[in-house]
Amino acid sequence: MAEIICEGKTTRDINAEIKRLIASGETDICMRGPVARHNLGVAILQSVKLTFDGSVGYYCAGMVDGPTVEIKGSAGWGLAESMMGGTVTVEGNAGNGAAASIRGGTVVIRSDAAARLGVSMKGGLIIVGGNCGYMAGFMAQRGTIIVCGDTGEAFADSMYEAVCFVGGNIAELGNDAVIEEPTTEDLTFLESTLFQHLPAKVDNSQTVICNFKKVISGRKLWNFNKDERAVWREAL
Amino acid sequence: MCGIVGFLDKTQNSNAPVGQAILTMLTALGVRGPDSAGVALYRPPENGAFILRVKLGELDGAAEKGVSIAEQVGAFGFVKEVKTTAEYLRFVIDLQGEATPLTQFIESLDEEIEVVSMGRELEIVKQVGTPQNLDATHSVSTFLGTHGLGHTRLSTESRVDLSHSQPFWAHNYPDLAIVHNGHITNYHKLRRIYEQRGIRFYTENDSEIIGVYLADRLSQGLTFKEALDASLTDLGGSFSYLAATANYIGFAKDPFAFKPLLFTETDDFVAVATEEIAIRAAFGDGYAVREAQAKDVSVWQR
Repeated sequence: MAEIICEGKTTRDINAEIKRLIASGETDICMRGPVARHNLGVAILQSVKLTFDGSVGYYCAGMVDGPTVEIKGSAGWGLAESMMGGTVTVEGNAGNGAAASIRGGTVVIRSDAAARLGVSMKGGLIIVGGNCGYMAGFMAQRGTIIVCGDTGEAFADSMYEAVCFVGGNIAELGNDAVIEEPTTEDLTFLESTLFQHLPAKVDNSQTVICNFKKVISGRKLWNFNKDERAVWREAL
Repeated sequence: MCGIVGFLDKTQNSNAPVGQAILTMLTALGVRGPDSAGVALYRPPENGAFILRVKLGELDGAAEKGVSIAEQVGAFGFVKEVKTTAEYLRFVIDLQGEATPLTQFIESLDEEIEVVSMGRELEIVKQVGTPQNLDATHSVSTFLGTHGLGHTRLSTESRVDLSHSQPFWAHNYPDLAIVHNGHITNYHKLRRIYEQRGIRFYTENDSEIIGVYLADRLSQGLTFKEALDASLTDLGGSFSYLAATANYIGFAKDPFAFKPLLFTETDDFVAVATEEIAIRAAFGDGYAVREAQAKDVSVWQR
């Protein structure tokens, strides 16, 4: 395993060193002392393992395709934004806009996510061990969001074909979001997915799979229908 | 884009290194706003005297102006600890009677003069430039007390000068100060309402309205927490702000969570900052931090 000591280096130096190590064949790199700095580990397109041994700031692991990123602290705004593939795991909490606009890959937030989790996602999987904030899943087009705890208001607002599962309470459903009974396949998927990414939750029976609610789009906003003006007025 | 920070020592220690904590956090956030930096620091009083910090205006002749004011305010009470530093006069006064006539008198002496802070515990220093410059001029890092606020500013809509810098003291409400990151969209409307009631505004900075608003609410009998809660519906736009009085510190975040604000709380202290980088710089890696959610209001008592 290669190490990068972040102290005393600029963000640009650290990111350049990550890329240099990858180019030299290194597949396991640990960043020591990131102390919540912004823009670390962005645009990594190889299947390597990146570990941050503390908190990271804004936009960590943005635009990546392939790496396995582990963050041993918290993450700031825009974690894994626009990610294409790979896995990003945060031990602590994540700030606003985590996994926004991702197209693939998996983002695991072991504690809580703040506002606008997974907005406009176009694929991929987001798993939150704790609660999520305001407006998670807004305009999500495809992909899956699993929240083991509670959600904030305006949950799953104006979604397209994304699917959400919530283990706790939903403070308020967003426009055109509807609750549907999960199928047997859904529950099997939830159990295996949580067992893979948050085994502690499943082992301790903190999370009762059959209590999860499934939230999908009611499809009322997909096409304009003048008979449903009231729905549009409400949504806009 | 501004940076705001807050710190409260929870161990009943009146000599906690508040200045050092606030300054370290503020320095880490310096890149969010290089225009100006300021702090509001609180220390329990030795007696009931008021501490005033007065902006004197131009540096030329500031010392003489300071001496002259200190002499003239003797009519309001016993004046001690008079000191002029850069463009500030600081003095302590055993006030006989109400505080408002004193600040009105001082501000009537010269239109450049402004009472930047007044209270039994509160002291505000702020100036154009970086947090390091603030410390070099006013030795902020040596301040001991119980809690404090800090602000580093990137001006977007109003002038860059000392008066437009933050923290803002809520004029004529002793010990109440605020720092704000964001934009209050109904500022002009609220300002008109308050001006019709005779309240003077000192700047064109929309953040000033928050202190005025909270002072109004507290005067109506709301508790500190209730006043912050009420602001979520009465203030429009994007805001994460911190407010403090002699006994309380708290924050409020707007209903859309437009602006960042994180905090950490232990048995010993509470630290709040715009970015985690500030908390890590001041307190190391050992504390879990979380982002405040939309509509979150949290208040801590000293």
